Amino acid sequence: MKKKIVSALLVTTMLSTVVTGCGKQAGRGGAVNADGIKEFTGFFAVPGNELNDDNDVQKILAEKTGCTVKETWLTGQTAEEAIGTLIASGEYPDFIEAGNGSVQMYEAGALVALDDYLDDYPNIKNFFTEQEWDSLRQSDGHIYWIPQFSNIQGEEKACEQNDEAFWIQTRVLEWAGYPKIETMDEYFDLIEDYVEANPTMEDGTENIPYTILCDDWRYFCLENAPQFLDGYPNDGSCIVDPETKTVIDYNTTPTAKKYFEKLNEEYKKGIVDPESFTQSYDEYIAKLSSGRVCGMIDQWWDFAFTAGDAIKTAGLDKEGCQYVPLPITIEKGMKNQWHNSGGVLNVSSGLAITTSCEDVEGALQFVNDILDQDLLNLRLWGVEGVDYEVDENGVFYRTPEERKNCADTAYKAAHLCPYSYFPRWEGTSTDGINATRPENQPGEFYDGLSDNLKKCFDAYGVETYVDMLGTTPPPGDWYPMYTFSQTMTTSTPGGTAWNKMGEVKHEYLPKVVMADDFEKGWDEYMKVYNDCHPEDFLKEMQEELDRRIEAAAKYK
Amino acid sequence: MKAKSFTKTDVKHQKVLLIWAAIITVYGIIFYYVPLVGWLMAFQNYKPVTGILHSQFIGLDKFKMLFSDVAFLRVIRNTLAMGIINLVATFIMAIVFAILLNEVASKGGKKVVQTISYLPHFLSWIIVAGILHDALSASGIINELLVHFHIFAKPIDFFAHEKYFWPIVAFANVWKETGWNAIIYLAAITSIDPSLYEAAAIDGAGRWAKIKNVTLPGIKPTIMILLLMNVGNVLNAGFEIQYILGNGLIQKVSQTIDIYVLKWGISQMDYALGTAAGIFKSVVSIVLIVFFNNMAKRHGEERLF
Repeated sequence: MKKKIVSALLVTTMLSTVVTGCGKQAGRGGAVNADGIKEFTGFFAVPGNELNDDNDVQKILAEKTGCTVKETWLTGQTAEEAIGTLIASGEYPDFIEAGNGSVQMYEAGALVALDDYLDDYPNIKNFFTEQEWDSLRQSDGHIYWIPQFSNIQGEEKACEQNDEAFWIQTRVLEWAGYPKIETMDEYFDLIEDYVEANPTMEDGTENIPYTILCDDWRYFCLENAPQFLDGYPNDGSCIVDPETKTVIDYNTTPTAKKYFEKLNEEYKKGIVDPESFTQSYDEYIAKLSSGRVCGMIDQWWDFAFTAGDAIKTAGLDKEGCQYVPLPITIEKGMKNQWHNSGGVLNVSSGLAITTSCEDVEGALQFVNDILDQDLLNLRLWGVEGVDYEVDENGVFYRTPEERKNCADTAYKAAHLCPYSYFPRWEGTSTDGINATRPENQPGEFYDGLSDNLKKCFDAYGVETYVDMLGTTPPPGDWYPMYTFSQTMTTSTPGGTAWNKMGEVKHEYLPKVVMADDFEKGWDEYMKVYNDCHPEDFLKEMQEELDRRIEAAAKYK
Repeated sequence: MKAKSFTKTDVKHQKVLLIWAAIITVYGIIFYYVPLVGWLMAFQNYKPVTGILHSQFIGLDKFKMLFSDVAFLRVIRNTLAMGIINLVATFIMAIVFAILLNEVASKGGKKVVQTISYLPHFLSWIIVAGILHDALSASGIINELLVHFHIFAKPIDFFAHEKYFWPIVAFANVWKETGWNAIIYLAAITSIDPSLYEAAAIDGAGRWAKIKNVTLPGIKPTIMILLLMNVGNVLNAGFEIQYILGNGLIQKVSQTIDIYVLKWGISQMDYALGTAAGIFKSVVSIVLIVFFNNMAKRHGEERLF
């Protein structure tokens, strides 16, 4: 009998530990481990690769800074879902990059105000100008997050088109003798001709002429091309007329209609992949990786590090399956702005420290330390003599062996530790010679290219992806407007309209492309679209535009 | 019947049982009743920073908002439609399958079929959705077969048309759950007195007559109880499969109440609206179960309470 009571008691204690032991992944607040290293946790609301626990560079960084951060990434959820769940639970990791949920984190009182600390950490303080810091202030006047990217030091070095573009495989261009392609009509004519002449790849796999990624938030591949086609830069959610300083809706422009009509035409011809609108992101990447897809619109970062690396690993670069961007506009001879120079300060999100972190000073000290040039080199280039070499002029380069290692996912997880969502400098190192990252080191970049890309670049007389498109400086102080629309919530009429517009576009844009009768489909779409009251959204965008121009004028 | 008084000796005799009952009760209170405090959120302009204690009460505003949202009415329709289709399909299939299996003479064969048929139950919905998505894609096995046998001229994209979505979900449910649901009916069938079958055989009943007059009436109480329990679950038409298989093109028919709750409650961080939608779902489920239970009572059938 006694035994039974004891076991019953055990069960109750177990139950109560279940109840209390629910909080996982919470901040360790810089607790010191057995080796005397402070341990922090970090969650980044973007997909990413987890590092091995005994990562080499992470260890070296831990020795130098006395800190290490266990990073976790978004898996199988949207950023909003992940952040919404975190807020509902009330327990946070020490560091967070909350993406579109940043404002919600701030409103939930989950973030630590950083402005009082900044003066003690020169590397962080000098990361932005006073004007830039001010633009990061939230409604209560405090700064809560540090945008990590696009902060350029010294001369800008850009080789990759780290933005959106119409991409095309080099084999298509090579087959046609590297023609000059400037419009959508020319682009699709080229693909049509190529696929007619070469219906399959070398191994007999059928070519897919053109596919459109349309999975959840990634439907920008279908949706936002009209702004670029009209020669405007990526304001993301609207066009800003630089002359009149007014906001224009790119969904309803004549160019938008022409663009979707063209897609509709190509869909009927069988050029647009019929699976476009039902494929998931993974299926899309698998298709691209197989080298079958001749062309698509996408952001470089959305496919280059997955499908791009896979094409290289599979040796498909020899067949000309790598992608180059083309400077396409709606009419011939227009200026394109697919690529803008200068860093884009994305004020809508960044690295933040949560209220769960018990050692805010320690955490900031770590962020400050890893901005030192030596440690930046460790993060972004790797270990000297192992991951890169230095020639007699102090120029960094990599051997073919080192290049291959750095494209290998297993090696990356075991050896490299870029702390990729912590602040870092772009542009030139403090030595004045090298690019901060190997991807942007001109010599290293060109030497690392596969032959099909070198041939293609040579034929067009260019050296980098960016040269294929040309560079334009950012249009004005307001740029980019998407940093505002990303923070909109359904608590305002504009935000509600923005939300509904997104839903309608998700449903009707594929329908328009697939419609038997385009005109009828388009009219139906426009009717439903206008029912969402896009004017509410545009009004709030215009107010923000005016506010930004006014705010920037103070510093002139 | 007069209630017996509970004496001290009874307590002594049933000590262990009482302790277990207490533990289960505590468990129930902690995990089923305490979380209900969260329902308060639906009546507040809930903000995480002020919490449930200090958020401003706004009465039924969130419910008004909910029912003026066309999208919410649409997800109710989808949930009900898919719930009912799934219920009918899986329910009938399970009974038919159990009876058919019962008629199989070979004991070994029966075991093998039964085991294979209930294995899909243990697959997660994620995997099932993945298999379906591959099989039904334009280059998937189903389209290959249809085109090969000239039933269709060219592959059709099943996930691009609204009309296919509900049948696909129902099919997935039938495939996954039929074998598992049949187990309980098989057990009920084995408990039927064999002398009834012998008597029927003597009266000249064939297989069909035996099924109709002995087996079906024999498992009728089980059928009624399970039907009642499942009716309460109609609004749990699913979340994973619709979430994974749905896409922008067919969102009008694919989204269920659960997806709506996730979208508003978590992604848009309107926890109050999400909670209100959740409450609506629970209340409808309770109403359904009470209603059908009473109907069963009136017809003198087996019932839950």
